Amino acid sequence: MVDILLQQIANGLSVGMGYALVALGLTLIFGVLHVINFSHGETFMLGGLLTLIATTTLGLPYLAALPLAGLGGAVLGWGVNRIAVRPLLARRDGGADVLLATFAVSILIHQAVVMLWGPAPARIDGVPGTFELGPVVLTGQRLFVLAAGLALLVALEWMLRRTRFGVELRAVAQSQFAARVVGIDVDRVNGATFGIAAVVAALGGALLSPVILYSSSMGQVVIIKAFVVVVIGGMGSVSGAVACGLLVGLLEAVLGLVAGEGVATAVIYSLLLAMLLIRPQGLTGKRAR
Amino acid sequence: MTSSPFILGLGAVLAVALGFLVDQPYFASVVAYGLVLGIFSLGLGLTLGRMGYVTFGHAAFFGLGAYAVALVCVASGWSYWLVLPLSLVPGIALGVLVGFVSARLGGAYFAIATLTTAEILRLVAANWIELTRGPMGILVPVGPLPWQEALGWNPAQAYLSLLIAVAAVVLALVHNLNRSPLGRAWVAVREAPDLAESLGIPTVRARVWNVALSGAVAGLAGALVLPKIFVVTPDLFGVANSATGLLAAILGGKASLLGPLLGGLVFAVLPEALRFVDAARLAIFAVILLVVVRLLPGGIVSLMPARLRPRNRAPRPDGSAPALFAAASTAATLLEVRGLRKSFAGVTATQDVSFSVRRGELVGLIGPNGAGKTTCFSQLSGFLAPDAGEIVFDGASVLGQAPHRIAARGMVRTFQHAALARNLTVYENVLTATHLALPESVLASALRLPGLRRREAARAQLALACLAALDLGARADEMAQDLPYGEQKLLAIAMALAARPRLLLLDEPAAGLNQVEAARLAEVLRGLQHAGLTMVVVDHNLKMMMAICDRIVVLHHGALIAAGTPAEVREHPEVVQAYLGEAGA
Repeated sequence: MVDILLQQIANGLSVGMGYALVALGLTLIFGVLHVINFSHGETFMLGGLLTLIATTTLGLPYLAALPLAGLGGAVLGWGVNRIAVRPLLARRDGGADVLLATFAVSILIHQAVVMLWGPAPARIDGVPGTFELGPVVLTGQRLFVLAAGLALLVALEWMLRRTRFGVELRAVAQSQFAARVVGIDVDRVNGATFGIAAVVAALGGALLSPVILYSSSMGQVVIIKAFVVVVIGGMGSVSGAVACGLLVGLLEAVLGLVAGEGVATAVIYSLLLAMLLIRPQGLTGKRAR
Repeated sequence: MTSSPFILGLGAVLAVALGFLVDQPYFASVVAYGLVLGIFSLGLGLTLGRMGYVTFGHAAFFGLGAYAVALVCVASGWSYWLVLPLSLVPGIALGVLVGFVSARLGGAYFAIATLTTAEILRLVAANWIELTRGPMGILVPVGPLPWQEALGWNPAQAYLSLLIAVAAVVLALVHNLNRSPLGRAWVAVREAPDLAESLGIPTVRARVWNVALSGAVAGLAGALVLPKIFVVTPDLFGVANSATGLLAAILGGKASLLGPLLGGLVFAVLPEALRFVDAARLAIFAVILLVVVRLLPGGIVSLMPARLRPRNRAPRPDGSAPALFAAASTAATLLEVRGLRKSFAGVTATQDVSFSVRRGELVGLIGPNGAGKTTCFSQLSGFLAPDAGEIVFDGASVLGQAPHRIAARGMVRTFQHAALARNLTVYENVLTATHLALPESVLASALRLPGLRRREAARAQLALACLAALDLGARADEMAQDLPYGEQKLLAIAMALAARPRLLLLDEPAAGLNQVEAARLAEVLRGLQHAGLTMVVVDHNLKMMMAICDRIVVLHHGALIAAGTPAEVREHPEVVQAYLGEAGA
């Protein structure tokens, strides 16, 4: 029993890394632009789809598909920002309108993929091989997800802390007005934030799709889990998103073992409502008002 | 304005006429489905249009209503038509839960919470096989309506006529609610939550009621779809349903009354008319949504010229001259503040401030910038919790009470920035502020009972009297945002008066006013004091303060440094020092 539990913990952590990468972009966009990009899950799905196309139709090796997925994510992020976010930000009801517009975009992307590619799930071959750590057996792909995800997180952290752009980004997050006063191009920072979030989400999809199977609805599922992660971790908190992403993946795997997948998902979703009731600012967030 | 008897009458006529006319089962069932969607979006429009809350999961209420009726029908063997009204109950219950969990946090959280709730319910319905038969669904036998055979109608005709009647009733109820004090409170909470709270509107309760009523209507719609689909499946909770309701409400015009109903009809008929694009239905809906949000945020209804849109115009005064403010109690001391202390992360904002206000007094609270005057007001009115101290208003402590409770007790504050519902008229703003004047039940609001009409008339007269007291009567039907700044500040006082205060806390009423406006304000304040109102005023216009105040309390760096008549305070060495610095040092 302990062996199975340890195995599920290892599996859960790798899936949780994928959740963390999606939630990270969601929370980054919320922190900087103060809006919610509902189409963020579809970027994750697109990352998976591009990986599928690259490895099957184009016959590329899996690792070569990753940059392609990242590039696709960047293009999609740029488009979503131009169509559904930037023109609406200045409005009085900007937040609500962005939410609605990105919701529309997410349906559009999903429907387009279903119509052009079909709804059937597909298997993607990732990094081969297995590794044994005591009683736990990790596939090469799961290990790769953990390693690549960690590398991505470190790179992001370095960018936020050490680069000029990172400083600008954090300045805009604190106060758009003050950032503008000191000469920061807020539109550019907003756009770049959106792009980075999209690339990370697409890479998340490319990393996770060999583990969980690609399907056209994987974006719709992951976006709700990302909401759970972000609400528990505290809206706008990057470290909270990463920690809670791993935690949610872990919890899901362990609960799935005990109670079955459907119940596990329902319990995870319920955590969001419970959190909003008990501590709406999240585990790491400061109390507002 | 359309009246609800007119809506009900028209609904009855249409129900009978169309029942007879549309005898083609196909057409009847398409229109009936459009009405189901319309009722669903009417419910959704209640939260989206009134509160401005986006929802991606209203199918949670829709599906729950359907499942509840299906389960009761199967378990009890009762007729579907008999069980149908029960569908209101789960919608209300879930609405209270979701509303309480998320509505106090604002828009984005509501969207997330409804979406998640719908997904949870979908998972429960799909996995609790013993109860719901899972994805197989529950078959609900639907018998004929009692009057179907008597009239020689087919089932589709009877179903259609029932739906027309239900839609008319829901429309009338929603219309009644929107123009009741509760409906006005929803708009106030959306536009300026703090101002609403300061006027005695319980914002959390107003929000929860809104979501609960919206949920009830959506649940009813869910149950009404059963005669068309026969089988309830977990898909009822799906995003497609939520999206359709949302789209219908937005396309029609979320803030309008008829908009959602029209939108529902459009979204039922459109897929039928465009059969060949059935596969692309959702994609087309999404494009429409995107275009509407980008280009036409107000929906189809916003194409109507602004002057044609209904406005609640100010009635004529009926000479009843309502009492402007509640009679103060007999206690000589109305407000007693003892040792009020508050600090923010090491910065002391108020430091053991103690003072009292006698009945009928006009007390000035002055001090240099950052002296803690507004912080003091915020603590008195319940917006900030003091770290220590005692606030006794009219003989009882108000410490730790919510702002709307304190307002209801009779202590009402204004804000430095005239935060108004800008897209309402001056009169509508003050009418909204009469919330506390006469309490109203949700039932009386929805049914527009005779008692409510009487009280509405009284509230209207009170609003007129408050406007007259500030000489704003001639501006009643103008938009609040079109008033010059000085009159906006007077409007804020008129709204505070409409809450029937016994003690009025005015935060910088003269800030930004020119000399003429300030003189007018001083006159108004003197008039109110003569009429017997007790007031505490914070302001930087010392000339006006010295002229109108009975007593002045001076704060400096959060501490009280002097209190007395204007003449005493003016001579007080510490006050001189606080304002002018170390003189002759």
